[in-house]
Amino acid sequence: MNCFQWLQWLVEYVEGARDEGPPGLNLSLSSPLWGVVWVFLMAFIVLFSGQSSKFIYIDF
Amino acid sequence: MIFNTAAYYLLFLFPSALAFRRASSQLRPWIIALFGCAFFVYFSVTSLGSGWFGAACVGIFVWESLISRLYTPGAKICFLGITASVLFLGVFKYWNFFTGLFLGSRETNHLYWVGAFLPLGISFFTFEFIHYAVDRYKGKTEAGTLGEYLAFIFFFPTMVAGPIKRYQDFLPCLREPNRDWVKDWNRGVTRIMWGLAKKFVLADSLTALTDHLNQKDIAVAPRAILLVWLFAYGWKIYFDFSAYSDIAIGSGRLFGIKIPENFSWPYFQTNITAFWRHWHISLNKWLVDYVFIPLGGSRGSLAFICRNVLIVMLVSGIWHGAGVNFVVWGLWHGVLLVIHRLWAYWLGEGKKERVEGVTPDKPASLPSRLASWALTYIFVNLGWAFFVMDMPTALFYFHRLFGG
Repeated sequence: MNCFQWLQWLVEYVEGARDEGPPGLNLSLSSPLWGVVWVFLMAFIVLFSGQSSKFIYIDF
Repeated sequence: MIFNTAAYYLLFLFPSALAFRRASSQLRPWIIALFGCAFFVYFSVTSLGSGWFGAACVGIFVWESLISRLYTPGAKICFLGITASVLFLGVFKYWNFFTGLFLGSRETNHLYWVGAFLPLGISFFTFEFIHYAVDRYKGKTEAGTLGEYLAFIFFFPTMVAGPIKRYQDFLPCLREPNRDWVKDWNRGVTRIMWGLAKKFVLADSLTALTDHLNQKDIAVAPRAILLVWLFAYGWKIYFDFSAYSDIAIGSGRLFGIKIPENFSWPYFQTNITAFWRHWHISLNKWLVDYVFIPLGGSRGSLAFICRNVLIVMLVSGIWHGAGVNFVVWGLWHGVLLVIHRLWAYWLGEGKKERVEGVTPDKPASLPSRLASWALTYIFVNLGWAFFVMDMPTALFYFHRLFGG
């Protein structure tokens, strides 16, 4: 596995698309760090949620 | 809006996922069906402007649930179901477009449907109806109970904009959802939050650039800025649609139900064939199984295969929208795919694996891969001009971009 593939795996794991982290990463799903990730995400979502938006692909 | 509203999470997702987890196996499908029906009516009335007429289209689901009980392997009635689904989609989505092609604009088109509306998610759920009818006809999936089929068609996280599910993949998860709550809710909530962040932070922020894709602004902008705006749209639509898919897949995870992936690093692909294996994956698998293969697929001469590719992308373009610009967008990608096939054949490789982007025996050099990636990226993004703008505006855009 090259560096680029490892980074892709890491992004997918952090994003929630994979259940297992990449080789060498010691971050289990029960780690409190996920709470920190969620707090940051929620902060960004709240900060940017003032913009009006529609999902492009939804029929309307 | 829907997936970025509090109502989606507080009225539908969390209550239904919790009830689903706690319910007996007999009740589980009916919980999804009930919440899905309520979701369809609620958002038809409150969010999409189609009001009670849109909500009444829940009758389409009633029709589908009844006729689907008559599907058996080899039964001709499956074709009635397929025809009905195509008619529903054709009438609601394309009536004014197709009648307009023959009878002109609204003023001269006496068949124009004033007050036309789109039932919520019709482009997606009709494709799931067709999949079920075809696979039942071929004996590739079991019937399941009425409740199980209602749960499939009313599964609200994917009802509105996919990913397009397969019944034979959905049924095992419905009958035996994953029992690891902690893992499912960690992954599901994480996925949903990343989807919302992608939508609000990335996709919506790019609107500041993409809103300039109109004739007035295109007329005065420098060429480099024209490209910035269009490429920004390429990222906007990726973040927007992949964000929705993240929310849908994450929502499914809360139920313990696995939903197929829809995007896998599409803009990193080094040829157009690989791009279409990584962009809107569930739709393209559907098109391969229910359009490309019935047309004859790759079994035939090169000209025959290219014809099939063009037809599939024409269907894809039309499916995306009722407008000439969407037809052109589909054909744009069809031509790119044909060129890729011809290029591989002309190079003498001519092998299926080479065309479909599988790693060759001798890996390409880095400059070669970078050049392939750049070409793919540029042409995919130029094609978005036909997706985001109507034909006159898109043609004006290219005139300004290449003609000055």
